[in-house]
Amino acid sequence: MTVLPTTASAPRASAVAEPPILPLGAARLLAGASSGRAVDHLEHRALAGPLVHRTQAWLCEAARTVGLLGRGGAAFPVATKLAAVRPGPATHVLVNGSESEPTSHKDRLLMRRVPHRVLDGALVAAAALGTSRVTVAVHDQEAAQALTTACGERGDATAVRIVVTPAGFVAGEVQAVVNGLDGRPAVPNGRRTLPSDRGLEGRPTFAGNVETFAQLGLLALLGPSAYAAIGTGTEPGTSLVTVFGDVPRAGVAEVAHGTPLDLLTGATGDRPVLLGGYHGTWTRARGLLLDRPALRASGLAWGAGVVVVLPETTCPLGEVARVARWLAQESAGQCGPCVFGLASLADDIARLQVGAPVDLPGLHRRLGLVSGRGACGHPDGAVRFLASALAMFPEEIGDHTTSGGCGRPVLGVLPLPGSAR
Amino acid sequence: MSAAPAHRDREHRLEVDWTLCDGHGLCARIWPERIGFDDWGFPVVDDRPVGEHQLPHARRAASICPRLALRLEPS
Repeated sequence: MTVLPTTASAPRASAVAEPPILPLGAARLLAGASSGRAVDHLEHRALAGPLVHRTQAWLCEAARTVGLLGRGGAAFPVATKLAAVRPGPATHVLVNGSESEPTSHKDRLLMRRVPHRVLDGALVAAAALGTSRVTVAVHDQEAAQALTTACGERGDATAVRIVVTPAGFVAGEVQAVVNGLDGRPAVPNGRRTLPSDRGLEGRPTFAGNVETFAQLGLLALLGPSAYAAIGTGTEPGTSLVTVFGDVPRAGVAEVAHGTPLDLLTGATGDRPVLLGGYHGTWTRARGLLLDRPALRASGLAWGAGVVVVLPETTCPLGEVARVARWLAQESAGQCGPCVFGLASLADDIARLQVGAPVDLPGLHRRLGLVSGRGACGHPDGAVRFLASALAMFPEEIGDHTTSGGCGRPVLGVLPLPGSAR
Repeated sequence: MSAAPAHRDREHRLEVDWTLCDGHGLCARIWPERIGFDDWGFPVVDDRPVGEHQLPHARRAASICPRLALRLEPS
């Protein structure tokens, strides 16, 4: 496919402008973060204790013991990823703070309020890999500033490089981040390469999401037993989650795994819930618990940790149609099935919204023609979201087809970058 | 009698580099049994392993791609 020029995106609107931290009783990473400013190094050390360095083998074994999964959305086992990285002074540690999922705010909050949690994890990983090369890629200016200030407060972070990277959903994909940092266009590679084999400067690279690093730092501090003192047997510990929509309190929470999602959402009744953001899935299931392995077994995606309760006052199909168009526009423009497939799906859903005739069997067939046929996971994630939405709203689709609408306005509850909520 | 070389037992798969593919469609014309088209003219490649007897077809399909987007890879 011919590469289309990717234009710089508009400044990102936050899912929640400055989300409050919801106190739900499991403040580990977010301990001390509610003060409304960054926890400085002295306060951080008082809360967290001295930084504890571990070997690569220790970290891998501990991550395996507590079943630590990556927090960027793919939930890949951290132990497997870390074990694959060849250590040495040329090896890189890459902390991905791009947070390009429009519904998620937890990574920005982590970097802005408790930057030393992120730095602890990055420095522990770097020491374990025998390197001092640490790069944090961020596209939120305030987060970059907080991290830069934090590096200045401690003596062990002088070699840490903070880089402000361009916005864009696909630009946050790890290989796109690597390409951007190395001065190439910030798009995924045609041949899937693993950063552990060929990352920054073509060197072995341990890359992960900011929360993943913060959790790894916490694991090094606590050791696996204390780390697993809360959470579930299948997934010990906590996760950060962004929650908004028709909920008692919108914000970012740190919750122990196994927590009922009702604690975040209140009673949701029959209202549809979006889990995982715009690569995630819709559900009306009740009694769900936050536990990635269990959710995955139910066919639900936790993604980057997002829970949205769609209010009954907005038109669900209109909300989905806006996101569908945005997902199509966010294609990096490299791969034909993604460029043409997502655009055609967005067109069909726009037609459904206005009650124009749509070849529904054709739409479902085309949904199956996009997954797995791109250089990155964007087409797969987008199709997961769209297929799940079409399955969730058959009555609404019927209303739009017969009457041209459902009588509800499109409130824009599902945020898009550059548009106010 | 000597044993067959090890590589003969290896399975292969056709893989598309989607960043290169422009949908010229030559691969699907030359091997329609395993490669079709989607609604937008891009190849839909049967992802089952390519058997040894099919290797010549697969090699021909890969080598005719003007963008070098189709590769035969050991699976």
